[in-house]
Formats: sequence, structure tokens, C-alpha cells
Amino acid sequence: MNIKITYHWLLDFLETDASPFELQKYLSLAGPSIEKVENIGNDYVFDIEIISNRIDTASAFGVAQEAAAILPFFGKKAKLKFNPFEEYKFLKIIKEEREDNYKLKILIKEDNLCSRFSAIILDNVKIGPSPSFIQERLKAAGIKVINNVVDISNYLMLTLGQPTHIFDFDKISNSDGKSATMIMRQSKKGEKIITLDEKEVKLPGEDIVIEDGKERLIDLCGIMGGLNSCVSNNTKRIILFVQTYNKQKIRKTVMTTGVRTLAATYFEKGLDEERVEATLVFGIYLLKQYASAKIASELYDIYPHPYQKKKVITTFSFFQKIMGVDIPKKIIIKILNSLGFETKVYGKKLEVCVPHFRKYDINIAEDLVEEVARVYGYNNLPNNFSPPAQVFQPEEFEKIFKVSSKIKYFLKHLGLSEVINYSMISKKMIDQWGLKEKNHLKIKNSISKEIEYLRISLLPSLYKNIKDNEGKKEILKFFEIAKVYLPRENDLPKEEYRLGIAVNTDFFDLKGIFEALLLELNIQSFPFPKIVKKDNVFLVEIPLLLLIEKAKLLPKFRPINPFATIKLDKTFELKKDFAFEKIKEKAFQSPYLDKIEVLALFRNKLTLRFYYSAKDRNLTEEEAKKELNKIDF
Amino acid sequence: MENLNYKEEIEKATSENILENLRIKYLGRKGIINKLFEEIKTLPKEKRREKGQKINEIKKEITSLIERKKYELKKTQKEEFFDETLPGKLYKKGSLHPLTYVIEEIVNIFQKIGFIRVSYPEVEWEYFSFEALNMPKGHPARDDFETFFIEAKEHQKFGKMILSPHTSSGQNREMQRVKPPIRMINIAKTYRPNWDTTHTPMFHQFEGLCIDKNINITHLKGTIDYFVKEFFGKERTIRLRPAHFQFTEPSFEIDVSCGICLGKGKIDGKKCRVCKSGWLELAGAGMVHPNVLKMGGINPTVYTGWAFGFGPERCMMMREEMKIDDIRILYNGDIRFLEQF
Repeated sequence: MNIKITYHWLLDFLETDASPFELQKYLSLAGPSIEKVENIGNDYVFDIEIISNRIDTASAFGVAQEAAAILPFFGKKAKLKFNPFEEYKFLKIIKEEREDNYKLKILIKEDNLCSRFSAIILDNVKIGPSPSFIQERLKAAGIKVINNVVDISNYLMLTLGQPTHIFDFDKISNSDGKSATMIMRQSKKGEKIITLDEKEVKLPGEDIVIEDGKERLIDLCGIMGGLNSCVSNNTKRIILFVQTYNKQKIRKTVMTTGVRTLAATYFEKGLDEERVEATLVFGIYLLKQYASAKIASELYDIYPHPYQKKKVITTFSFFQKIMGVDIPKKIIIKILNSLGFETKVYGKKLEVCVPHFRKYDINIAEDLVEEVARVYGYNNLPNNFSPPAQVFQPEEFEKIFKVSSKIKYFLKHLGLSEVINYSMISKKMIDQWGLKEKNHLKIKNSISKEIEYLRISLLPSLYKNIKDNEGKKEILKFFEIAKVYLPRENDLPKEEYRLGIAVNTDFFDLKGIFEALLLELNIQSFPFPKIVKKDNVFLVEIPLLLLIEKAKLLPKFRPINPFATIKLDKTFELKKDFAFEKIKEKAFQSPYLDKIEVLALFRNKLTLRFYYSAKDRNLTEEEAKKELNKIDF
Repeated sequence: MENLNYKEEIEKATSENILENLRIKYLGRKGIINKLFEEIKTLPKEKRREKGQKINEIKKEITSLIERKKYELKKTQKEEFFDETLPGKLYKKGSLHPLTYVIEEIVNIFQKIGFIRVSYPEVEWEYFSFEALNMPKGHPARDDFETFFIEAKEHQKFGKMILSPHTSSGQNREMQRVKPPIRMINIAKTYRPNWDTTHTPMFHQFEGLCIDKNINITHLKGTIDYFVKEFFGKERTIRLRPAHFQFTEPSFEIDVSCGICLGKGKIDGKKCRVCKSGWLELAGAGMVHPNVLKMGGINPTVYTGWAFGFGPERCMMMREEMKIDDIRILYNGDIRFLEQF
């Protein structure tokens, strides 16, 4: 999540001699990352990436708190000018001049929807443009300026980090005109609400909503208000509404409805309930000042489980253990205090009290180490190698990686191209290959028909590779080494590495590639895998493990034969029961035959060359011819 | 004998044929030299030796003159035009997927410092991808929008079957396989439901894990700094920024200095177009969370560890030669892309 605030906005809370660019540099190293600084007019806009568990920093005040702790460690002066958590208290509102003419009837139907519910009705509202500083800051933050009331609502969020909502009281009031009913409940599946942006949202169910007691939904809580209750130019009375919601529910609604707002992005992270008070009070001040609002109801605050002080206990030596350097006690304490943690020292022990705005992200001693280490500066820690240790790679892994690499380079040098395909394929590909859908694992929540099933063979993908590339290149030769996923009963699938090869040339090209590979891997004998022909594509696939088991680093050495080799050529007429394999089998019955080469094939006439030699003497041509003649049928 | 004219004759020869004839004339079986040797027999014994030596010298001289003349003739001979600028014989060149080279490079870099490569299931139980990594039920990473789920019966203990969204699920598997010291890297296919110019539903991750006694942040920093210098170049540096991951504490984002502006963020006074103010995001990392160690059966009061996760695709695309603007090209099998590597 990123937010934008300006330098001067930050200076409302922070007193510092750091320039906007120094702030960028130092905060990025130790706190929220300021990704960009942009100069506009006499101010600077910071584009800030908020760390996902630090939603407490997603505001001008939140960044100011971090800056006040961090900057002094980089030699800059910095302190908080003003702490809204201390200044903006309900107590002050209660003391103020007020007329409680209006009422809210609030009913929260379930416990786990809203951890804090606060609201107040304001009367005498004059809608108009907001003051220029608010307009400028909102524009810099990338938020559309609308009118004083709406702008203040947005301004509160980016100033204090707590979203608010404002209803037009009269649009939802009961027939007496003096009260409004708010029933917070979970939505029913299929219920509809038209949101502020005039879009109808069909609810998936179990979303947090507010109903006005007349079966009308007026708020899709935490995400967007209803159009039927929104502030307009004629608005006179408003409800300022500040809540903290169940974060999982907000996230689910955002993801299922696709309606995402900045407010929702705050709520789905889980907000600090203590922030509600300061936000409501600051909101009342701003609305009084810039919309001439007057308090017109009692202050509603439903907060069933108030914040309990949380403590983490650790030792000073633990910081050294994790950081790898000795950090003086007083530095540790100074850093923790400046971040708002209270500390008590008991000898070697350290008791730390977690401030309310950190109650969700600080749980264990390691969390405190992170706080100290980041402010101390990761860059101030040395680079060390991890101490050496004897570890052994399991033989199985070692062989897979070694032999795969050898195969890949060899096939590349033969002119093939390696491809990496998705592990998932389409139903169409399964059907095309006559495979059975039920033999594949299926993805429940796939995002495309192209990638719904986990493949059990590499061939459909390789075939598709050739087809997709037709017309781009004449001769296509692909290979892939990848896992296939073979389902097993009540277990994870068997993940089996396979080698697949596909060519659009001919049968003997593919056979030759495979035979050459066997030679390269020094594999003596191998049951030849079936070559599949589909249209003009020839394919072969085998489990990689079969090759790995038989592959040898070195072939078996044969002494060089010093005696003469007799070469003899002979032409055979091939028949079904007299194929090359048969000739070969017969020929090798001779103890003198070294090898056979194919010289030519014309129709069914096959010319072969035979190499004969003896290991202990020079073989005569007559002897060789005698051997050759034995091959005849 | 003194009136032999061989010097002049050889000198005047204009072709190899003429030279060959001269060779036969003088050195042939019935040539002049042999005749001279014949004549020796007619001389008195005391003169034979002297004469013989002289003839031998002449023979050597003629042989030498002929060889030399042959060489000269060859040199000056006008040959047919030989175009050396023509290309050599064409050898078929295949290709490997660029990631294969990148993964190989990464493995080599880590092997040198004693890390072993392992491999763990891509189709996993929720437990290994989430619970074992301190991500309890309800964590955003676990929902339908971040993880692919498989239609299969749930495991009583380990939950639903999923496509692992990260290689970190191998952390617990490795801790189950061996006890510390652990020094592993795991590079594998991982899956998440995103498909656009910067995401593919299948991609690779590269996980490093080191668990031992007395492992601290400085070891993580040192290891990643070493990797960056080996992979991207000696002049590159790293910085750590605070971040949040459930399975590490403390957690960092690791940035590497930009290779274009060399970490300055500016070139000739203008903003560098490649990086964010001089730095590029490279990886997430941190000290292994004590809950993760516990779930791996390792006592976190005795052992500590670090872990990191990189994207090999990203590492590849951060190299100067691989500026790819649509990542989907890596996995669509287009030969015009593949054959370049």
C-alpha cells in the first residue's frame, strides 16, 4: 500500500531540520520507504510505501512518529510538536457547548463485526468548498476534492490514519425527523446496495452493512457509503462516523465484490481502536471550523474490549545475539522510548510496554530486536559470511540436477531449443490427446481455461509448442525437462521429472537425437521409448529417472585393437520378418563383428557396412566373408 | 664439373614443371650427379674421396636451390581469388531457456560457499505453505486470490491441497529432513493466480535457508552481499530496508544499487529511468521466526537462522542484457524468443 502526503503536512506534527530529501533517504533505510519526492509549488509530495503490518504509519502523523524516532540516529534534529492521541480526547468534546436535539438508535447484531463504533450528529452544516490548504494537500495525495464535508473526511484519514464516513442525517432519519436508526449486521447473499459512485453492488453475503431500520442498506461498511445517504449540496445535518471493523470481513468483501477504496485498504489491515477517539474529535474540530457545524447529539462510543497494556519481556543480550554486534543498553532503551515503548530495566532483563498503536505488530522479543536494529541502522551492521558447516546434498537431488544439466547442454548443441511450459494445461489439450480428465488434478480457482489441469505428460504442451510456432521457423525441435503430477489416492501427487522431445522433421531425426543422447550419457543398453506421431510432429517422452539411473560419468574403456579391421558391404531386401533389428541380431552372433553402419536405404533395399576384426590376430577377408554370409536367411 | 650451369638454370625457371625437369636432369637416377659419381670410379683411389665430397656438396646445393626456388614460385604464383570473408561452415545452434542459465549461475554461486540445492513438492498441503510458516488460517496470503487450490480431499492434519505460492514451504520440509546445521537453496516453480505483463501464473522462486548456532543478521547481510557481487558485479552494493513477512523476524526488503546510475539515482543531472532513487528491489529476507523453527522441530533458544526469497526471473531481468517489457514471453514458447539464448 502506498500513500501520498506532503512535507508541510508532516511538519504540522514534526519539528525537524531534515530536508525532504534527507527524510526520504533516512526514513527509507529505517522505516517506511519514501519511493519518490516530487516538488510542487512550495511543498514536496512524498510517495510512501507502507509496510504491511505497519498501518499505524499510513498517515502524516504516523510518518511523523517514525521520523521523530529515526532522524536523530542520522544526526538530524527531530521531535514531535504535537500528539493528537494526547490532545484530541472525548473529554474535551463532552465539556463543549452542545445541544443534544438528535439521536441515533444503534444496534450491532453480532460481536465480531466492529471492535469500536463511534458517531456523533452535527447540525447547522454549511456545504461549500474546503479551505485551500486541505484542497492542496488532498490534490497532492491524489484525492479528488469535492466539498468541505467530504474533503474533511478524507483529510482525517490521511492525517491520522483512520478512515471516517459522513452520512446525511436527514436522508436516513426516522419519521420523527429527530432520530435515525442504524442496524449493523451481516449482509444476506444477493442483497444490493447502490454505492456513492452510483454503481449497484450485489453482495456475496456476510459483508458488514448498515440498514436504516426500513430495510434499506445505507452503508457497505469500511468500503463505501450508500448513495441514498450521502452528503449533497443541500445537506444540513450529518453523522460523523468513525469505526474499526473486522479486517478479514472487509478484505473478503473487497476481493469478492472488486470494490476497492483507500478506506478499505486501511480497514483490511486491522486498525488500532484507540485512534478512533482522536479522529472523531479532530473531525468535529475541523467540521466546526470549516463547515460551521454544531454538535447536536450525545457522543456514541461502543467499545466493548478496551486496550489492555501489553508487555514483552526480554534480555539485553538477546539484541546482540540476533544483531551480531554489541549494542549499548542505553541505545536500546533510547530507540525503544523514541518509538513510544515504555521500558523498565531489571538487571539484565528488560520489560517493554507496547504502545496502543503497535499492539497488533509487536508480540515477541524478536519484534523488539527489529525495532532496535532498523533504527540503529542495518547499514551499520557488518557483512559476515555464515560460518562454514558440513552439509551433504542428498544423492537423489545431486543426480537430478547434474544429469539434467548435461542433457540440456547436449540437446542444445544438437540444435534443439529448450522450452519451459506451464505445468497447467487446458481441457482441450487433454481431449486432443485422448487423455482422461479424471486422471488429472484440477485447479479449483483457476483464472483461465488455459491453465485448469496439472499435466501428467509433457507431450500435449510440446505438441502445442510446435503448432504455435509453425510459420515462424521451418524446422522446429523442442525439448523440456519438467515435472508431471500423477495423482495418488489421499496423498499429494507423485511429482515425476520427465524429458520430452518434439520435432517436426522425421522419425529418424528424433530417433537419432535420442540415440545420440544415450551415447552422451554413456548408456549402453536402453529400452527404446515409443516415438509418437501426431500430424507432422514426432514426440518422445521418458521419466528422467530412467536416464539418471543408467547414466555414467565415463564409458567402459575398450583396449585399442592393433589388428586389421575388414570392412564388408552388403545389401539386403527388407521384409516385415527381416527388419534391420533381425539382421543386427543375427550379425552380432559373430564373435568378430565390431559394428554395423547404415550406408544407404533405397526403397526396401538396405545397404550395410560390417566391421570385422579379431582380438588376437589379423582376420582374413575370407574369414570375414564367411561371417557375413551367415546372416542370410 | 665446374662448367655446370645449374645455378643459372634454376634461377631462370618459371614454373614448377621446369624445376621438376631440372631436378630430374641433375638429381634423377640417370642425372648428371649420378653420372659424376660413376666417373669417380675411373679416378685413382687417393683422389676419389676428395672428388666425392665435392659432388656431394653440389648435390646438396642443387637440392637446396630447387626447394628454395619452389617456395619462391609458390609465393609469386597467381592463385584464384579466395574470399576469406565468407562465413564459416554453419553449425546448428540450439538454445536453452534463459532461466536455465540464470538458475545454473545462482546454484554455482551458492555451491561455492557450501550451500546445497534441494527440491520439494510443488503441489503441497496448506500446512507446509502456511501454518509451518507462521501464517495461521485467515491470513490474506491464504485466500483464493493469492493461492491456487486443487480439487482434492482435504488432509486431516495438513489441510487443503494447493499449488505452493512460494518456495518457503521447503523450509519446514528441510527442517524435517535434517537437523542443523542447515545450508540450503531451493529453486522451484511456484504458482499464484495473476496473469498480466508483470505476472505469470507460474514463475520461479529461489529460497535460501541457513540455520545453526549463533547465526545473526550480519551473516544474512554478508551472504546476500556476496551473491549480489558475484551475480551482478563487484561494484554493486546492497541495502536493507524494514519489511514484514510472517515467517521472519526481523524482516527486510533487500535492494541492490542500480547498475545504470550506480546508485546515484541520477545520470547527467537527470533522473535515472531504471531505478527508484538509485536502488532496485531484489528480495525479501529476514531472521527465521522462532515459531517457524519450533514447527520444524528446532529449538529457537539454541538455534537461529536466516532465510531469503528471490525471483530468478526478476534477477534475470535486472541484468543489463535482459530488458523484457512483458514477462509472459518467458513461458509462451515462442521460438523467436527462445532461439536467442
